[in-house]
Amino acid sequence: MEQALLRINNISGQLTGKCPFKAGGGVEAGKCPFKGHGVEAGKCPYRAGQHLDQSKAWSLVNVTPTVTTNSVTPIKVLVTGAAGQIAYSLMFMIASGQMFGPYQPVILHLLDIPKMADALKGVVMELQDCSYPLLHSVVATTDVQTAFIHINVAILVGAFPRGPGMQRKDLLKVNVSIFKEQGEALNKYASRGVKVLVVGNPANTNALTALVKASDLPPSNFSALTRLDQNRAQSMISEKVGVNVDSVRNVIIWGNHSQTQVPDVNHGYILNYPNRGLIEPIQTSVNDDKWLNEQFIPLVQNRGATVIAARKLSSAASAANAIVGHVRDWLLGTKDGEHVSMAVYSDGSYNVPKGLIFSFPVTCRNGEWSIVQGLKINSSTQQKIDATTKELQEEKETAMSFLN
Amino acid sequence: MSNEVINVLITGAAGQIAYSLIFNVCKGDMFGADQRVKLHLLDIPLMVDSLKGVVMEIQDGAYPLVADIVITADVKEAFTDVHYAILVGAMPRREGMERAELLKANAAIFKVQGKALAEHSNKNVKVLVVGNPANTNALIAMVSANGVPKENFTCLTRLDQNRAKSQIALKAGVNVKDVHNVIIWGNHSSTQYPDYRCGYINLASGKTPIGTAIKDEKWLQGDFISTVQKRGAAVIAARKLSSAASAAKAITDHMHDWVLGTAEGEYVSMGVISDGSYGTSEGLIFSFPVKCANGKYTIVQGLPIDDFSKNLIKTTNDELVSEKTTALQFLSE
Repeated sequence: MEQALLRINNISGQLTGKCPFKAGGGVEAGKCPFKGHGVEAGKCPYRAGQHLDQSKAWSLVNVTPTVTTNSVTPIKVLVTGAAGQIAYSLMFMIASGQMFGPYQPVILHLLDIPKMADALKGVVMELQDCSYPLLHSVVATTDVQTAFIHINVAILVGAFPRGPGMQRKDLLKVNVSIFKEQGEALNKYASRGVKVLVVGNPANTNALTALVKASDLPPSNFSALTRLDQNRAQSMISEKVGVNVDSVRNVIIWGNHSQTQVPDVNHGYILNYPNRGLIEPIQTSVNDDKWLNEQFIPLVQNRGATVIAARKLSSAASAANAIVGHVRDWLLGTKDGEHVSMAVYSDGSYNVPKGLIFSFPVTCRNGEWSIVQGLKINSSTQQKIDATTKELQEEKETAMSFLN
Repeated sequence: MSNEVINVLITGAAGQIAYSLIFNVCKGDMFGADQRVKLHLLDIPLMVDSLKGVVMEIQDGAYPLVADIVITADVKEAFTDVHYAILVGAMPRREGMERAELLKANAAIFKVQGKALAEHSNKNVKVLVVGNPANTNALIAMVSANGVPKENFTCLTRLDQNRAKSQIALKAGVNVKDVHNVIIWGNHSSTQYPDYRCGYINLASGKTPIGTAIKDEKWLQGDFISTVQKRGAAVIAARKLSSAASAAKAITDHMHDWVLGTAEGEYVSMGVISDGSYGTSEGLIFSFPVKCANGKYTIVQGLPIDDFSKNLIKTTNDELVSEKTTALQFLSE
């Protein structure tokens, strides 16, 4: 692990308490592992907040074709739950350039619990053995502080899994304590422009918890993953209509990444259907309102369980692919005319009260998302939106009660 | 996007290497961002349900390059019209199994697959054997595939090459992309010979031979070699699972370079039919340094071989000769 730590090249600034890069943690007089800063014996002259990395993640990403990426500043990406299955698919996708494109080098920060340290070492070996030109370096650690330093993107996959007999309330409670710590770490150590994607469930409420504890950071930089549900919904439509999945566009997922999620095809369309050069609304192409109203939504909601039943393992690769899509579209922007689903900080749009992490259709530009406005919502969809809102409000209340 | 779809077969498709590999193919990493593919996924009947789950995940990925997917436990269906065959599936070594038993069990599998390639696949099908013992399995497939050119059969040593490059990079303190032309000779086994002598590193001061950049011949001829040879076991010991993702990346690299060509001045390691170059026995599947262009590889000739290397090349050569003898015996039974 130590060898991986030494590969950090562009650190500036220090942190309160112990310097994580000095053996023993204390700071020696006159010596500072970071160039250019004098140090008094025992004292760290930099308080949290000073000398923190100010870069904005989106503006860091280099999309200009370049012969050598040696002079491109690497982007720092944290993946938690790094010894787990989703991370095993995800980190190789990131290292290969799928998330930020072929001209942007990456520094991976990998965090997991001490019990998983050996497995994490094994994954680092594999990352090295992949010989990825875009992988600048890897920091693999079980220490939260080390993991969160100056990161530009945080993908919080790790969470406490639901055990047998565990009630939803118990699950919320244990995850609140994890995401409280991670929100605080983001606040203290991450780049000020860090973009956060929470995957670990209950994703929406975990994201909200982190957001609340990261009071210096803009709420708009916190999101939760509903892209997998969107991709699954598109997949179900493509199977029903008999087209390539890639032809199905602008399917929306509203609300909570849970059983109350609302897959909505009323604003979506199918490309090159029924013939090349044409575009047709999904509802028309499907031509089966009964199926849309009765079977489609449960199909999407149950897709995860269906994959597990078939594979005997969870849908790690498709989750990783959705994560890559979510972050890539957020930072590199969505295409004209297209929107994607992200669970983001609600602002009152579509009758959803402010202050929830709620999945909306968004467009992305210059590293910022905007909720697509003005979509007509029929009464049946609005009812479902209200139900998922209610669930999120209850989760929020429970979570906040645990925080206090 | 090219309209012509290529048919790509992956065997052992419900397994761990395939789980990492399939998504590399879907993304375009293997054949390029413009090449649409039809996936043929083969596994044993017991694993067909699991394959269905993988297909669900491919669909949920909405990959523009995936034109179609066929899942099957039937060899004929799997091999029909295939342009590229990646044979990952093989009989794994069970506890207490002798090498001869392993060879025998795999000879049966790869004989069937060799025949299927000849009878059902595209006439110019390119084959990469991954399942171990990879070199000898490739040989068995090759001799069983009457009519398919011998040059179309290869086995994977790219993982060993990538591992070797990585060790050099770590030792020299550079990024792995600055390390070039490290070679793997011979068998994908513990007799493989990772060879630094023709390689170089792009240092700030310019192209530097590895032996100059790393002035530690003891390490280069000692720990470097044994670390690369034992890396697979080291990953298993740490992860408690085998190195699926890095194997998948190596497979992707091998096929990409074979089909799309290597960069100017670069060589890569591939297990290919030996023509006697460098004192090897003819007719083995032996890992050499090769260059690729127009869908064909050529063994790099004229590289200097010192006595140290000669010995290691001979050892791995002899092991392959002995495996070949055993395998051909089984085939004739």
